[in-house]
Amino acid sequence: MSESKFETVSSLVDNYQTNDDVFDELVKDNHMSETWQRYHMIGDAMRDELPSSLNIDLSASIANAIAEEPTVLAPIAKPSFTESVKAKVVQFAKPFGQVAIAASAAGLMVIGVQQNVADTDPLVPNPVVQTVPFGGIAEPVSLNYQQNDRLSKQQAMVEQQRRFQALLQDHKQQLKFTALAEKEENAEKEVTNPVK
Amino acid sequence: MKLLICFLMLGSLSSSAWSAESESPETADIWLARLSQSLQTLNFSTSFVVVKNNHAEPYHWFHGVTEENIELEILSLLNGPRRDVLRKDNTISYIEPELPPYSVLSANLTGPIPNILSGDIHALSATYNFISVGKSRILGRSAQIIRIVPKEANKYGHWLWLDEKTGLLLKLAIVTGKGQPLEQIQFTHLDITEKPSESLHQLQETELPNVVDIPQGYQQQKLSWKVNWLPAGFEQINANRHRIAATKQPVEFTLFGDGLVEISVYVTQSQEKQRSVDYVMDGATVALSQVVNGIEVSVVGKIPSITAKQIADSVTLLVRP
Repeated sequence: MSESKFETVSSLVDNYQTNDDVFDELVKDNHMSETWQRYHMIGDAMRDELPSSLNIDLSASIANAIAEEPTVLAPIAKPSFTESVKAKVVQFAKPFGQVAIAASAAGLMVIGVQQNVADTDPLVPNPVVQTVPFGGIAEPVSLNYQQNDRLSKQQAMVEQQRRFQALLQDHKQQLKFTALAEKEENAEKEVTNPVK
Repeated sequence: MKLLICFLMLGSLSSSAWSAESESPETADIWLARLSQSLQTLNFSTSFVVVKNNHAEPYHWFHGVTEENIELEILSLLNGPRRDVLRKDNTISYIEPELPPYSVLSANLTGPIPNILSGDIHALSATYNFISVGKSRILGRSAQIIRIVPKEANKYGHWLWLDEKTGLLLKLAIVTGKGQPLEQIQFTHLDITEKPSESLHQLQETELPNVVDIPQGYQQQKLSWKVNWLPAGFEQINANRHRIAATKQPVEFTLFGDGLVEISVYVTQSQEKQRSVDYVMDGATVALSQVVNGIEVSVVGKIPSITAKQIADSVTLLVRP
């Protein structure tokens, strides 16, 4: 593109030139309109009027969205009477539907925020099963430790893990057997004070 | 539309204000009684997931009462090797990979859900408060939130979400004193039927494995040590000598319970002279172990680690006459 065209755009941006022909040309030429946009942005930036988050290619993304809009809902082939009626109904109903959806979404958001404030028990899993020295602070591992030492330490850890696993398992097992002893007591209780 | 939003906001505000007001122990009592009743009498098939640390265990749970008034129950772990618990009234059968199938006589099966919920929950009222804290939505149903809060801080609280329609459990969380959940049971499906489900009918037809014969007095043995401190409400329910299956280590064992949670205490001789205290957490269950003067003391249960440490420290050997 020639230097003069840029100058034209520049003067347009600065409101020095109001020739409709130039405008038409600018709109038709992709590159020129980009330049136009860019110059405006530069101007905005210099006047400190830029929004905090820039969505630079808004027009392009809207154009894309329109282009990608599925056209299945409006078949071109031979519109029969019922179809045209349906299409009208759809047209008629759609805006209301959208408003309703928007409203309900807004409602959901309000409720959601309210609930977030009230609900303080998110389903957040805790750290993994792990051995923790009592007090919760891991002992600092110094680099001076000898290899042998570290190995035996690791072995001790593995041993400890196994021991804990065995304990947890045995605890569960004992609970199953112990149910027996409790049962007799329960049976007595049920006789003396039946369930309310 | 603005009007609508305003209206919604007003609505939610007033409902949260309402739920704050309704903290009454009476309603909590009524809900818990209803839960117990529903767990014993309804025919339901349901699924739930136990969420612990970084993993989840899915279960299937069927319950039903036959026309002859026999309670039937099936609880199956769905991941990993098969673990099923079958119940026909007072006969509970366990099918597990570690042992050949066996049965015990008991009123309840042992699973992730505390037995007391289907029993007489008022037995806990000496050491726990029951508080109703309002409503929530769980499993697509409106739920009543009931908290079982320990009177002393050395135990965990249990929070229950109960179905408003049926009183059944929809969610359960074991929560620290600061309100942090350690273990949660979330129901993912609930079906209530008129009649017991097909699998329960099949259970009724099958013959359960033999009942394990536990000799009289085996669970009330005299041991050479005692625990001098326990949180309020705990009583001894089992004391025996056995070998831990996985390590073949002989132990002296005592089980304590307060109705809601159980604590196991293991005492054994160790080859080490001293080992400083160490513990692991499996969801809300802590396993803590220490060696003092050649004696290893381990404590396992759904209690805070500080409580477990206090119990372990309180163990003293009895001097034999």
